[in-house]
Amino acid sequence: MLLSALIWIPVLGAIAIALLPQSVPNLWARRMALAIALLVLLLLIPITLGFNPDHLEAQFSEYLPWIGVLGLNYHLGLDGLSFPLVLLNGFLTLVAIFCTRAEIDRPRFYFSLILLLSAGAAGAFLAQDLLLFFLFYEVEIIPLYFLIAIWGGGRRGYAAMKFLIYTALSGILVLASFLGLVWASGAKTFDYEPLRHHSLPMEVEMALLIMLLIGLFIKIPIFPFHTWLPDAHVEASTPVSVLLAGVLLKLGTYGLIKFGVGLFFKAWIILAPGLAILATISALYGAFSAIAQQDMKKVVAYSSIAHMAYILLAAAACTPLSMTAAVFQMVSHGLISALLFVLVGVVYQKTGTRDVTILRGLLNPERGLPITGSLMIIGVMASAGLPGMVGFIAEFMVFRATFAIFTIPTLICLVGTGLTAVYFLLMVNRVFFGRLPDNLAAIPRVAFQDHLPSLVLTALLVIFGLQPAWVVRWSENQATDFVVSPELRRPTLGTAVRSPLSAPSLVAPAISPTLSSD
Amino acid sequence: MLTAPPIPFQPNINDFIARLEQGQALLHDSPENVIEVVGVLKSYGIVLDAYSRNLIYIANHQFLRLFPFFKYVNGDRSLPRLLKHWWHDRINYEYAEYCMKAMFWHGGGRLDAFLDTPEFATLAAAAIQARWRGNPAMLTLHKLFPDYLPEQVRQLCYYSALGQFWRVMSDIFIDLSDAYDHGEIHTVPDVVALILNGLVADASRPITYRVELRGQTYDILPPSQGLTFLMDTAVPYVEAVFFRGTPFPGTISYNAQAYQIPQDQDQFAYGALYADPLPIGGSGIPPTLLMQDMRHYLPDYLHAIYRDRLRQEDDLRVQICESFQKSMFCVTTAAIQGLAPHPFSTNDPTEKAANRAYLKTWLRRLQESRLSRVA
Repeated sequence: MLLSALIWIPVLGAIAIALLPQSVPNLWARRMALAIALLVLLLLIPITLGFNPDHLEAQFSEYLPWIGVLGLNYHLGLDGLSFPLVLLNGFLTLVAIFCTRAEIDRPRFYFSLILLLSAGAAGAFLAQDLLLFFLFYEVEIIPLYFLIAIWGGGRRGYAAMKFLIYTALSGILVLASFLGLVWASGAKTFDYEPLRHHSLPMEVEMALLIMLLIGLFIKIPIFPFHTWLPDAHVEASTPVSVLLAGVLLKLGTYGLIKFGVGLFFKAWIILAPGLAILATISALYGAFSAIAQQDMKKVVAYSSIAHMAYILLAAAACTPLSMTAAVFQMVSHGLISALLFVLVGVVYQKTGTRDVTILRGLLNPERGLPITGSLMIIGVMASAGLPGMVGFIAEFMVFRATFAIFTIPTLICLVGTGLTAVYFLLMVNRVFFGRLPDNLAAIPRVAFQDHLPSLVLTALLVIFGLQPAWVVRWSENQATDFVVSPELRRPTLGTAVRSPLSAPSLVAPAISPTLSSD
Repeated sequence: MLTAPPIPFQPNINDFIARLEQGQALLHDSPENVIEVVGVLKSYGIVLDAYSRNLIYIANHQFLRLFPFFKYVNGDRSLPRLLKHWWHDRINYEYAEYCMKAMFWHGGGRLDAFLDTPEFATLAAAAIQARWRGNPAMLTLHKLFPDYLPEQVRQLCYYSALGQFWRVMSDIFIDLSDAYDHGEIHTVPDVVALILNGLVADASRPITYRVELRGQTYDILPPSQGLTFLMDTAVPYVEAVFFRGTPFPGTISYNAQAYQIPQDQDQFAYGALYADPLPIGGSGIPPTLLMQDMRHYLPDYLHAIYRDRLRQEDDLRVQICESFQKSMFCVTTAAIQGLAPHPFSTNDPTEKAANRAYLKTWLRRLQESRLSRVA
């Protein structure tokens, strides 16, 4: 019941907060939301203690027949791929709630939606049934739509509608792919593990994979399906941006590995060179677009597009190391982007603008935002892959793994990483250095509690940068399992395939001849 | 929060002239300004007292010491005192030396003129010979480089003169604080009047300098020269420290080759009245070191005002600097009033015209200062 608790406690909490009587002070809505988020994090402690990364089958499984005629079952499970993301979701939900001002408008509705969003993401990561995944994947769109449309910026209506249309289309494509898989394979269930062993004709598998990929590319997002993201980020409030970049985009990359690689392995191998090229284009597009931006949030948003593309590159390479790198990059990007959005939020809250042409000299130790500026510099260093930070480990792993498979795309992506330093240092130089202008000299002081989330996130960037094994150990075996040829995988258990990261013998034979010749 | 960009400073000189002619101060009269000025001058008075004692100690007891390692401890070389000093729990005496060097560099007044006379050279030579008697190495070096040690003596004269000047100013500012505590100060013009009275009272106070070497006293600035407090230290000090200052490293990097520094020292405008309170953290004059020192001696009533403001303790040094600049415009007002060719209350049209021309000269120099922002 532990996994269900991760989903249903936030749902019940959301209902309880929504039903709080008007006589109860608004402050209590935030307190309750914090308590619920904290409870979910506490629940993750026994899960962490009980989780065995050596076991490749889903752990803590919960199975409940639901709508038999549809083949839909309530099947939850935790594996090495979803475990870090569930932890990330729990942690960033707490950060997002903590970052929300207590005096926000309509707090009951707001915090209910945040908790529903978190529950939806947790459900999607835990679902072991394709239809159940789709349901949670769609469910999280609704609270996010309202969170942007109600508490967003000046163009919130436009941004929320754009987000809704794009992600609804994404959901339709994902659902179509899943339905096609089940119908074409003649399966009577949407359960994930049995469906991995289908034997569809290649052309059918390819068509289904392309459908799934387009759906997930919208979610991640990958160029040219990305246009909803900068608008959504710019109009969303800081806590929503934290969840959007830190967790919700990861549903797309999670889907890539879990369903793209896991269900359509042979077609994936054929498409992989194209995916690598697309990832390269997306990385460069994100980087160059970030250079051109004047809004700090847009810089971070386009940076997200670039960094999420590295996950696609790693997934395309399809080696044990690259899959582990993809998972690590998800965690790394989740923490870094959350930190950067929190800090941009502090700048916006205190100065009333995010325009890099207006902001200047915010590192002023007396009247600027010196701690925020210092943490921002650490954050952008992590994003640019400075050694000692989590971003370095993630990108080093990605490029180390993909270089042998996709040499030229990897080299071009390395240029993209260099561009990360360019656009972020341009932003930092404009916003934080120089003399604080007189019209910015009346910035209110930042309280310690406003610094706390970014301090914790910064600490994690350094800790996981120095000790990456604390992240990698949970997922490396599972990641390896994804690239094991279905023929070599035990058909019913999907377990006990233990291979070191460099063991090529168990890796699908198709990979080497196909990809290395590319 | 972001506010509207400031309107470029176009000070109306005539407004300030009219204000001064009516006996008011450059600084706008308000209860908060009175509290800020008196409070910050109290802490400044305490700090000046320490600076003054140290400058005079160096002039008298560190005479031509080539390696004056202990010049900031005023003769107390006990381990606790040294540890306290090295832990940096101390007054930044370096600031006083920067001011002294600014005065020495810009010169002005009869003190500067005297230091270039043969009479001074004779007096300095006697003191130098007494200081290095029995030290053939130093005396040989002195013969090889005959300008070095006299220049050090000139500098020591400024140590002593600034020490004596600040001795008086410290007492004036403490008296001001006492008068305020006794309910005798209510307005900014009251503050200016008390400072002016203090300056006038000590205007002709002699500035002299003599050192005792090997049991014998040597005059360096003899009383016979008639150097006085007001014209030979106060006026050059205001000119050097309030107005001209030095191009100090800070956020802005002054680049002489890019003509960011005027060719003519007279055109310098880096003094306390022009100083940007924000780029603190850079070295130089002002405001960092002085503000660091003054924050230790803020009276409670002023500290409470600072704590009630937007950034509370976060920008304490900037707030002190802004208050300090207000107080320096009061001192400048007193100097303007004290040096005026005729009383401002005169009804004689010729005297009025002379006063007006005099005031215009001052106000033109203050056009680019922080006057419009703090007044």
